[in-house]
Amino acid sequence: MRDTKILIAFDGSDNSLRAVSYTAAMIGGGQKRLVTVAAIERPPDRDLFPDDLSWKAECARRVDAMRASLLDAKAMLVAVGIPDDWVETRFVESCRSPLRESMECSIGTSIALEILRLAEEGGFGTVVVGRRGVSKQEEFLFGSVSTKIIHAAKGLAVWVVA
Amino acid sequence: MPPSARELLARLAPDFPARHVGEIYTDTTEFMSISAGDVIKLGERHFLVLRDEAERRFGLEDPKFWVKRCRNLETGGRNLLKLVFHESFPMTIGSMVVTCTRSPRKESRILDLVRGDPRFMQGETVLDTAGNPVRILEVVAGKRLDEKIEALEMPHQDYFHTLFPDVLARFIEACEAIAWLHERNEKHGDVRRDHLYVSYDTGRYVWIDFDYTFDFQESPFGLDLFGLGNIIQFLVGMGQHTTQSITPAQRELIEPEDCSIMFANRIVNLKKLFPYIPDALNNVLLRFSLGANVFYDATRDLIRDLTKAHDALDA
Repeated sequence: MRDTKILIAFDGSDNSLRAVSYTAAMIGGGQKRLVTVAAIERPPDRDLFPDDLSWKAECARRVDAMRASLLDAKAMLVAVGIPDDWVETRFVESCRSPLRESMECSIGTSIALEILRLAEEGGFGTVVVGRRGVSKQEEFLFGSVSTKIIHAAKGLAVWVVA
Repeated sequence: MPPSARELLARLAPDFPARHVGEIYTDTTEFMSISAGDVIKLGERHFLVLRDEAERRFGLEDPKFWVKRCRNLETGGRNLLKLVFHESFPMTIGSMVVTCTRSPRKESRILDLVRGDPRFMQGETVLDTAGNPVRILEVVAGKRLDEKIEALEMPHQDYFHTLFPDVLARFIEACEAIAWLHERNEKHGDVRRDHLYVSYDTGRYVWIDFDYTFDFQESPFGLDLFGLGNIIQFLVGMGQHTTQSITPAQRELIEPEDCSIMFANRIVNLKKLFPYIPDALNNVLLRFSLGANVFYDATRDLIRDLTKAHDALDA
């Protein structure tokens, strides 16, 4: 069962869309695979806004955009012939979100570790992640989700789509 | 009718020259208009503005018009009043540009969080009549750590064997303070060597200035860690060493990988200049070098390695 479940780490960026596209090409028309496209909410830092109203508005805008992107990602997978009920999307709200409705939430300290937690809890055998190709300096300061997933993953396959 | 500034100062600060007396402000929105001789009234407290605060870096004074050095007219003590100033600006780090934002409410929140903790600057936030959160800060009774180090007149080897072990122990304690913030999902935001003071009373290191913030998603504390790395390099080296500041013979030994990942001319492989630096300590420095393949992403990891390095000094 584990080997048939694939988790795509998705953030709406071109890199994560490449990861979706690659996964579609790899499994389209093949044997049954269950694919989950998962996005972890990343609300903007509240301190960057002069007031809570403008912060909440930006949080809502990002949530709407991400939910729409997830549907687009699912459509990409279905378009290559993967049955609709083999593909699901998942949006994990941030614990810091002012709009949060669900009990489960991301504490937001590491997107990579959140993705790996989802993979472990959901019994996924493969994690797919896009890589943006950052410089050493950027990786040092900003971090890299794909690098951290590669370093921290245990007992599963990681596809890195560069 | 409320008293004028002249009446107020005649009563509470009779030594203050009458010709310099200005206005009383209860709304600090227009902070550029508030200058020496004016009085800022917050609730029932009155603060006589003595001057705008300034940062002294690289021999230049950079005035901070939103930070007023004041005399508290009720207590006679000194305070810094930080007024609301929202700005976002690009900060250049080596070849990279990072957007920083000044956030009064972040600083207010951290001041509340660290109240009573001697590892941090102390203060409180009071709203002025326009609702601006004014931070009333206690002036740290101490001297800047970098100025203390730069004032030392001794060979590096003597410094390293006599003073540095205590400096490192104190710095580890300062790193613990930053880790404590990170564990509460807060960042300092502006970890620089001139934001670390040495208390006159206790010798303890004290962090100041918490109002910067930045938005790094995957590495939320990356800039704080980078700052800690810069400070430890400075402390180990008893100052900063660049490829321009060393002798030609030393320059022969330095490869690009020996320099900072962010600043191509800053030497971080200090063992090449000072061979008696133990590997355990030099390896920490190398994690901030261009040659590094693995970087610190948690302050606790840096503290663990610095503690081992401190033990190696004793060995």
